[in-house]
Amino acid sequence: MTAVTDFAASRALILQRHRHLKWKRLDPLEAGLMVLCGVCIGGFTLCVFLDVVTRTIGHPWLWLQQATTAFFAWGVFIGIAAATRRNDHIYLAEITRRMTGTKRWAIETFNRLVVLIVAGFMAWFGYKNAMLDLGSFRMPWLIPLTVYTGVVPISGVVVMLFSVEQIVKGWQNGFEGPEDDELLPEPVE
Amino acid sequence: MSSGLLLVLMGGLFLLLGYMGVPVAFAIIAGVLAATAFTPISFQSMVGQLFHGIDSETLLAVPFFLLVGELMSSADVTHRMIRLAQTLVGHLRGGLAQVVTLFSMFFAGISGSSAADVAVLSRTVAPEMDKERYDRAFTAALIASASTMANLIPPSIMAVVYGATGNVSIGGLFLGGVVPGVLIGVGLMIYSYFFGPVGTMKKRARLVDIFVAARGSALPMVIPVIIMGGILTGWFTPTEAGMAAAAYILLVLIPVLNPRHVRRLPGDFMYTGLLYSLPLAAVAGASAFGWMLAYLRGPDTVAEYISYYAGTDPRMIMLLLVALFVILGDFIDAIPAIIIFMPIINKLTQVGRINPVHMGVVIITTLVFGLITPPYGLSLLIASKFVGVPFYRAMLRSFPLYIVFFATIAFTVLFPDVVLWLPKQLLPQSVGCFPNPNGTGWICPR
Repeated sequence: MTAVTDFAASRALILQRHRHLKWKRLDPLEAGLMVLCGVCIGGFTLCVFLDVVTRTIGHPWLWLQQATTAFFAWGVFIGIAAATRRNDHIYLAEITRRMTGTKRWAIETFNRLVVLIVAGFMAWFGYKNAMLDLGSFRMPWLIPLTVYTGVVPISGVVVMLFSVEQIVKGWQNGFEGPEDDELLPEPVE
Repeated sequence: MSSGLLLVLMGGLFLLLGYMGVPVAFAIIAGVLAATAFTPISFQSMVGQLFHGIDSETLLAVPFFLLVGELMSSADVTHRMIRLAQTLVGHLRGGLAQVVTLFSMFFAGISGSSAADVAVLSRTVAPEMDKERYDRAFTAALIASASTMANLIPPSIMAVVYGATGNVSIGGLFLGGVVPGVLIGVGLMIYSYFFGPVGTMKKRARLVDIFVAARGSALPMVIPVIIMGGILTGWFTPTEAGMAAAAYILLVLIPVLNPRHVRRLPGDFMYTGLLYSLPLAAVAGASAFGWMLAYLRGPDTVAEYISYYAGTDPRMIMLLLVALFVILGDFIDAIPAIIIFMPIINKLTQVGRINPVHMGVVIITTLVFGLITPPYGLSLLIASKFVGVPFYRAMLRSFPLYIVFFATIAFTVLFPDVVLWLPKQLLPQSVGCFPNPNGTGWICPR
């Protein structure tokens, strides 16, 4: 039963896990990002489908391939932003879950500062790249490359926002939460 | 700062941050950015590399194979395949354990994701195994081990990533993965038969029952035919084959087998949209890491080191790489490991004159083993959570199953002709064969 509940909960538009690290005001942003994730994967599924169909009937729509790669790239970077708020990223280890007090506070803050700094690089240098890409175009429809690469700084800004949210809420409420024992390896007795 | 020191800084920082709890993608990027600060390369070009790392049409196959697994799992149409597995092997000693392995082989032909396999089995067969008093630790260990086949038996997400980054035929990797995938499956069934719990002995199913179960699961079992048939006939690229399978599930399977699930499809799409970004975020970071590694001549250094011990002997080179990847697979997720170390793999493939498809199959087989080894055995971690057993107990019960993986890896290294037999028969170009000029068959490199 637990597995079934977890299965349904993990698909929620706004994840209730780690609620104590979230501002309610940013919930619509999380929901919006999730919808965009669905739109992106739905969009490029439809594009690849139409690409195969139009090619098969002998009238290929060449722009579909450009739309496909745009949906794909946007989906990846939008997903990175959504996963930051939902704590859904791939982790090598989650050592902090067993910690409490000052030690936990320090490491959780440090980890989020690392994410914040990396996201800052993505935002600033991604923005510079996107501006530069206004002068580069993709064949055959000469779409500016910025249409594709513009998502990198956007994702960076949103990740920064979520990192700040988690740091501030963590300082207010503490980083410990009821979900700390989820998916956690038990210590050897 | 010397190249060696920069390599240590970059790799060390990634592992340190990763094990402190920074998400893998961000830990990799942080390591790369730190190293970039000591080189003439601009931060701007390294951030640009994040985008270029995923700007590949081949990688589009990843979300499709994830979508297929998630739709099958979420729409709950997999129980028909479980029923078929039950009628085929349910009467054997350790019947449900055999069902887990056989179903995983079926499901591996549909989904490229081990996590989807674990989720399905944990929700369906695991409760039944509990009723028959199977040790939960064994259940979790077996489900996790069996789920690794999803990354070997086509379609495989690891094969897609390996093929896309290493410029190796994905069709060839798919077909080459069949032998190790089946070997793991058979090995797990033999282990369960002789050394696993007995379970409740059941009567052998009648032929009519097998026929009814086969008819019931006929629609889902068409998916492997769509995927591999489409690729082998040249109708589809792997990406298009994934799309065709997803379209088949959406337009045929769900409306026929579980029409009420249609209203939940937007949720499935949103969740899968999030899900596919996770490995690809790691791909983006890892491609920047791999780029920097190549700039610092890391592949040459490691290749020289391995060549020093192995010379140009292909088997020794592969065994040393297996040893390296068994250790790496314990600590790093498979997808970033493939991308980060691809320049080294390519270099050693050339040094040992190894068939790139054979090398790819060996590396992927080694990396799937990492899905069940501590401390980062992702499949075992998920299975132990879903089955409701402490991770360390599942880990202890998985130790004897390691022998199946070691034997499979050794077989894959030592018998390239067996591994490459299927690609040579069905997709000869993928392993470097070319048509005989006199029009009779193919000429293949030895």
